[in-house]
Amino acid sequence: MDSSKDRILKIAVILLRVAMGGIFLYAGYVKLKDPWELFAAGIRDYEMVPNWAADLLAQTLPYFELLIGLLLVVGRFLRLSTVSVSALLVVFFSLMVRAFVQGKEINCGCFGPNELISWKTLVRDGSLLAVSLFLTVMAFRARRTSV
Amino acid sequence: MKTLALALALLLPCVAAVPEAEKGRTMGNPSAPLLFELYSDFMCPHCKLLHEQILPAIVLDYVKSGKAYLIYREYPLAIPSHVYAREAAAYAVAASRVGKYQEVSDALFRTQDTWGSNGAIWASIAPVLTPDERMKVKGLSADPGVLASVQRDVDRGRKANINQTPVMMITYRQKVQPWGNFGDYSLLRGYLDGLLKR
Repeated sequence: MDSSKDRILKIAVILLRVAMGGIFLYAGYVKLKDPWELFAAGIRDYEMVPNWAADLLAQTLPYFELLIGLLLVVGRFLRLSTVSVSALLVVFFSLMVRAFVQGKEINCGCFGPNELISWKTLVRDGSLLAVSLFLTVMAFRARRTSV
Repeated sequence: MKTLALALALLLPCVAAVPEAEKGRTMGNPSAPLLFELYSDFMCPHCKLLHEQILPAIVLDYVKSGKAYLIYREYPLAIPSHVYAREAAAYAVAASRVGKYQEVSDALFRTQDTWGSNGAIWASIAPVLTPDERMKVKGLSADPGVLASVQRDVDRGRKANINQTPVMMITYRQKVQPWGNFGDYSLLRGYLDGLLKR
């Protein structure tokens, strides 16, 4: 009974991890498809970092998302990749909530430039954060139980 | 004859690249390397900001210098708070038929708060028209041709998956890039200058 439960949990973790990896691969791809200046403009709208940092982030973050996405899909360096995903999503989600509460009508910048922050984007990113935290816990638990 | 045919063949892609546009709602040289199609809604506050603060710089740097051809597209958003947007767009298109698109656009954005709340669009644009133009624009604003023109722009925007305003579709060498963030003009300028240097 326990082993079948474990198996189901294992399969669920793999499916969620691959889906999360796919989402990050897509997020990186759509940002790289557009000019970096457009993503930089989106980051600047949040008014959280100086312009030079926004420009640097716009030119590097999509590659980081691709790397994390790839690691999640192939299942390598799971502790590192799940912690990175969770950390990124905590930052993204906090910034979005802050902008939403402040009543800023700005683009989310999550999957390209054409999506305003709304309840929909908050629920979506909140769900992604919950899943990433779950995957992080599972990654550490798997390591502990295997030792 | 052969030379003429060759010249025509070479020119054909350039001609074909310029999309359908009404003369009264364009600015600049149609054969400029860049094409800007600006989708805007007269009731949208970001469009007002773009029109009054950023667009003059874009026009000066790219349109008047011959680097870009600008086409204005009407994109009244179908949302309850933009109840007068389509009517305003119809007035603007009607004004373009008497050569007063810019003046009426300026007036509509300048008085956006007023007519946006009381619906008195005509009172906002009448002062920038002569008595003769007023008669023509009033009549044209309900003309099926004008209404169809607004709808054509809306359809074109929907086809391009535009779901917010303002959005500028930037075409360079047949590659189209939507641009919807005008918060910092230096980024747009950097992108456009980069394109032109390629």
